Amino acid sequence: MSLILFLVIAGIEAEAYDTPNDDGSSITTTWTTDTKFESFEILRSENPEEGFEKIYEVNKKTSRYIDSQVQGGVQYYYKIKGQSADIELLSEAVGPVKAMAQIFNTGRSNIAICIFILFFAIIYYITRARRGEKLFIRKIPGISAIEEAIGRATEMGKPVLYVPGIMDIDEPETIASMSILGRIAEKTAEYGTPLYVPTSKAMVMSMAQQVVKESAIKVGRPDWFNADNIRYLTDDQFGYVSAVDGIMVREKPATNFYLGKFYAESLILAETGFSTGAIQIAGTALPDQLPFFVAACDYTLLGEELYAASAYLSQEPTQLGSLKGQDFGKLIFVIVVVIGVLTRLLGTEFFYNLFNTMP
Amino acid sequence: MKRTLPIVIVFACGFFMIIAFFIPLRGFQDVSQTLQNWYIGVIAFFVFIGIFNLVKVNVDKIQRRLRDWQYNVILLIFLAIMMIAGFVGRPGGGVFLYLFENFHIPLGATMFSLLAFFVASAAFRAFRARTPEATLLLIAAVLVMIGRVPIGYYIWHGFPDLVEWIMTVPNTAAKRGILFGADLGLISMALRVLLGIERSYMGGGKE
Amino acid sequence: MNILDRLVKFDRRILFVFVALAVIIPLLIPIGLPVDITRPVKHVYDRVESLPEGSIVVVSVDYDPGSEAELYPATEAFLEHCFRKNLRVYMMGLWPAGPKLGNMALEQIAPKYNKEYGVDYINIGYRPGGPVMLVSLGRNVADLVRTDYAGTPIDSLPLGRAVKSARDMDLVMTLSAGDPGVLHWIIYFSARYGTPIATATTAIMAPQQYPYLSSRQLIGLLGGLKGAAEYETLVERKARAVAGMDSQSIVHLLLVAFIILGNMVLLYQRRKK
Repeated sequence: MSLILFLVIAGIEAEAYDTPNDDGSSITTTWTTDTKFESFEILRSENPEEGFEKIYEVNKKTSRYIDSQVQGGVQYYYKIKGQSADIELLSEAVGPVKAMAQIFNTGRSNIAICIFILFFAIIYYITRARRGEKLFIRKIPGISAIEEAIGRATEMGKPVLYVPGIMDIDEPETIASMSILGRIAEKTAEYGTPLYVPTSKAMVMSMAQQVVKESAIKVGRPDWFNADNIRYLTDDQFGYVSAVDGIMVREKPATNFYLGKFYAESLILAETGFSTGAIQIAGTALPDQLPFFVAACDYTLLGEELYAASAYLSQEPTQLGSLKGQDFGKLIFVIVVVIGVLTRLLGTEFFYNLFNTMP
Repeated sequence: MKRTLPIVIVFACGFFMIIAFFIPLRGFQDVSQTLQNWYIGVIAFFVFIGIFNLVKVNVDKIQRRLRDWQYNVILLIFLAIMMIAGFVGRPGGGVFLYLFENFHIPLGATMFSLLAFFVASAAFRAFRARTPEATLLLIAAVLVMIGRVPIGYYIWHGFPDLVEWIMTVPNTAAKRGILFGADLGLISMALRVLLGIERSYMGGGKE
Repeated sequence: MNILDRLVKFDRRILFVFVALAVIIPLLIPIGLPVDITRPVKHVYDRVESLPEGSIVVVSVDYDPGSEAELYPATEAFLEHCFRKNLRVYMMGLWPAGPKLGNMALEQIAPKYNKEYGVDYINIGYRPGGPVMLVSLGRNVADLVRTDYAGTPIDSLPLGRAVKSARDMDLVMTLSAGDPGVLHWIIYFSARYGTPIATATTAIMAPQQYPYLSSRQLIGLLGGLKGAAEYETLVERKARAVAGMDSQSIVHLLLVAFIILGNMVLLYQRRKK
């Protein structure tokens, strides 16, 4: 027969506190103990004199429980009962604790500071650009080649193919792609070169049609716009790529643009385009697809160059100012990384912990 | 109004979502959740727009008897079959599941398998020692290709560890660099969009 | 015209034929090369081994038929391990086709271990919404999940009742081929609720996960068919992935040979100039 001890002693050190950085809907209990238990029960009460009720049970590996079945403004008390085959131990009651909402998530204050610094830098350089200051932006070969590529298609009497990626409009790469599409559509409309934009998502199709139409109107060529050239194919990844490959092989565009978010289909598109003899300019922010585009395309926009492309093509001072601000942010980041590496090598965690984030 | 209203909506919603990331109050989180739910609802509605466009373009090609119009007929027939099969019968079963398992899955796998051939032709064309950097790329690629398959371990037991080092140290460092640069670019572009500086995604337009 | 002159104007379809033969022949005549086990795969295996019986493992099938060749073997191997350890499997998917593919694996593996649907495993099907859905799922499952994959009310199933929030999930295994996928699980689920995440990804995506492995946001990784083959070896279930390793080895050697050939052509062209 096993001996069960039910001792109300401080064998388990428990603590209960309002869960930080939440909406006031939970209380966190934590506990430590030197005794090996198989499981722990969490007991709760609004009035200790009326007794405690069990609200949850966790296994031995857990030493924390977030009670989200609490009402705001009500005071609660907690006890932790550790259990194993031979022994039961109860902690002292801890409390009273009230769940309260926090106005600001202090666990994310480091993110807020970084975003503020970056926003400030971007706005600062935009302001400088607006005042007429000339800002140097290095040449990006892929972007510089766009006009030449469209000219090539015009001379050959062949269309331009623009593939805006396979993801939806909530992806930043797709928004960047739509921005670039607007600029490219202006050029193709001006030259009278057909522009095909097959899309994988219906919302992207709608947006692309609007962008291209407005671009045509802007350069005084509304007659050039053909909505049927900008169409929805399918949401299915490989169904889409096989349809685009079919367009490439049948229509034989002289210039292919792959600008947006791509996955495994990137190489299939690029190789098929290469086999048709087209000049190809690609751009994506996902590092794992970049190597395929670099290997198979004539020019590739790497990561941030995709986001910078629209600003670069516009040559508008305020847009170029934002690129300078972004570069300033990158400089700050490099300095932070160097300091972080050095401090970690020296054995201090302080600087590293400044950049830890909590949920 | 046509240009101003979208910019105002983008600004208001965008900055609200940023602020809601830092404010845990229930009201903010509920509104944030509602906006995201609206987005999901709008996306779902757009499925019909896509199908309508697909049917319209293909019917137009059939009517005008453009080149290869017969394939457009086949497309529409299969679109109809899958739609009917999806609506009729038990969920996750019957004709739809049969078509899914015996047509959709093999066709998708076939297209994916093209990568095997295209990787070979891209590697043959691209991995040339034209410059010192290209030579380094070539050497790393060869080492990883051999080390990542069982035959690499068979040739030399140390290959997998060497490849593991290449993947976890230089590869990870380079990817992190590209990722962080891209994320900074994303923040910059997002701010341009939120402030209405970048408007070409709406279609043309000067500042 | 010597061979290098011919290679300058090389028709890539000849290359395709070689690749096809390199894939088919080892499948028909297996070589049986041993599969070495790498650390990221071992970590996944060890974590599953450490889970007590009855633990709940979320298996999120986040791929479509295009990635079935690489990820389905990993799905089967992982489910085999879970059922052998008497863990409970809570299947779902962030991609529409995912749960259907996952269900095929469940129907193959579960009967081998006499597992009962609703008690030992459950499939809640496709859940749209990506990040938004994951945040809600971790907070309160009942907000999102009313029925399972086949339309059965979730509360009528014991395992359905047992999973109320992220706290009830001991491990998440996401078999991921893109977006939404492993990144969303890390950012919107694990970072918020602390649930450990393991992943199996396509070979193309695997290098991108290494930063998350280093920072311990991922507890382990099965990369591509090789990762699946390693897991099959660990769980002693030599199936499709292991069978594919011979072909993969030969194809990789073939690619290396062609790269060397391509560089010989480059040297030849330079000498000619």
